[in-house]
Amino acid sequence: MNRPVAWIRRVGQIPGGGILIVFVAIQIVCIAGGLLFPAQFRYLASGNISVMLQAIPTLGVISLGVGMLMIAGEFDLSVGSVYTFASIAAAALLNDFSVPAWVGLIAAIAIGAAIGVLNGLITLAFALPSFIVTLGAMLFWRGMILLMHGALSIDFEPDPVFQAVFGGSIGLLPASFLWLVLFCVGFHVMLQHRRLGNHMFAVGGNRDAAYAIGIRPGQVKLIAFALAGGMAALSGVFSATRVNSITPVGGAGLELQAIAACVIGGLSLNGGRGSVLGIFLGAALIYTIQDLLLLLRAPGFYLDIFVGALIVGAAILNQVAARSAKR
Amino acid sequence: MTSPMYEIRDASKRFGGVLALDGLDFHLGAGEVVGLLGDNGAGKSTLIKMMSGIVPPDAGQVFVDGGEVQVRSRRDSQKIGIETIYQDTALVDSMSIVRNIFMGRELVGKRGFLDHRRMREVAIDVLRTTVHISGIDDPDKEVGALSGGQKQAVAIARAVYFKRRILLLDEPTSALSVRETENLLGYIKRLRDEGVSSVLVTHNLYHAYQVCDRFVVMSHGRKVFDVAKADTSIDELTRHVVLT
Repeated sequence: MNRPVAWIRRVGQIPGGGILIVFVAIQIVCIAGGLLFPAQFRYLASGNISVMLQAIPTLGVISLGVGMLMIAGEFDLSVGSVYTFASIAAAALLNDFSVPAWVGLIAAIAIGAAIGVLNGLITLAFALPSFIVTLGAMLFWRGMILLMHGALSIDFEPDPVFQAVFGGSIGLLPASFLWLVLFCVGFHVMLQHRRLGNHMFAVGGNRDAAYAIGIRPGQVKLIAFALAGGMAALSGVFSATRVNSITPVGGAGLELQAIAACVIGGLSLNGGRGSVLGIFLGAALIYTIQDLLLLLRAPGFYLDIFVGALIVGAAILNQVAARSAKR
Repeated sequence: MTSPMYEIRDASKRFGGVLALDGLDFHLGAGEVVGLLGDNGAGKSTLIKMMSGIVPPDAGQVFVDGGEVQVRSRRDSQKIGIETIYQDTALVDSMSIVRNIFMGRELVGKRGFLDHRRMREVAIDVLRTTVHISGIDDPDKEVGALSGGQKQAVAIARAVYFKRRILLLDEPTSALSVRETENLLGYIKRLRDEGVSSVLVTHNLYHAYQVCDRFVVMSHGRKVFDVAKADTSIDELTRHVVLT
């Protein structure tokens, strides 16, 4: 076997490596296309790059939380509703009580984490599938947004420092993307180099074995639920800061996109498997494809077709990889 | 009379309509290997799970070195110094061998970061020196990729590394080859010489007879026979297991 093939094989075996190869391949094709046809295919235009880098963090941040929870063996379908509910709460605090923006941010994260913990408590106390509990929570909090705020969009205009730290940019690099990278590093360290991460893998992989060896599965899962809710709220505030406005239906569909990003990134729906690299690349890949189709002037429904095929393709690849690892 | 190192008095456990343990008394001395015998459904596994804290008793008391202790979780039994090798091995298939061995008891450095290198070294060492299972060349291999015997070896390696006072083995030889079984039985003897007590649950009376100092036969959640090795024979034990 020649060397590049062996090298690609090695990369494919690290967690998230399979998606990395696909991602790099697509980037190479896109960059080559952008260099060859700069007038027709504006992939490398600065405007395009900055729009893409701004779009990825919304889904990326939310997917990190959802991914941790999936690794711990549970789902959260309510993150899209939490994303909107928590950011509207922050905006209301800013507008009606004129609290500083960072207080609003902390309040939003606390609300998101609390909703996550509540989902977790109901799931664990009644031994229900979290899929059902959070499906209910998704509708419940979506309704609560309309009940408490109404259907009008709301302004979110934080002070200039907050705006710069969370909504500004350094050259082409938006602040929110830097935050996403920072969170990815933090979550990677937690997952791979801290006890908590190891316990998440254990609880998600085999709850009974984890319990028999002295890990408290309920505690680990509650932390993961809190992370999912808190990250959803954070993502909501990031987006609100970017556009200085929140629409009450803005988060709809994000929960499924987040799960899609995780599945594309190699996370198992059964829990116990996954990597931060995979989650990040899953989210980035969805937006790369979206961007690609926009640049090629394909109608919007092509995105659904491509992402849909990508999810199933990724799931098949992961299954094949898991089987060959067992041999 | 001096009190035994570990003692359970009048333990009961009900699962729905089934009385798995019915006022059971059981004790274990320091450096003693007890064979726990009995037909399926006699309550052996329930007793082991109760001792390791994952099945809390409905009634009964536990004494360690003569003092009463509460054992209601795995952490409680860990404090007493109990390690268990379960019948269903209690491993996570999607995790590596190293991570399984140190699951829940990860080695960490000063700032709480996992010490992957040291865990890897210890895992290689334990796997090589104690269980002699062939075919485990890479401690980073996923446990799901191992054979039944290899999985059992990982479970044994884990218990052996963390052993302190009492080792509970629930059908540990069911997935092992003859040579692997001999190694394990030899290891139980060596641990006894170091002062570690063991409770060995098995259907194989020859294995039990080879290493145990005392035998307890259970039936329908009760102790029906309790005899030192010197006072019995395989034939007599067989009769008690089959007839009660």
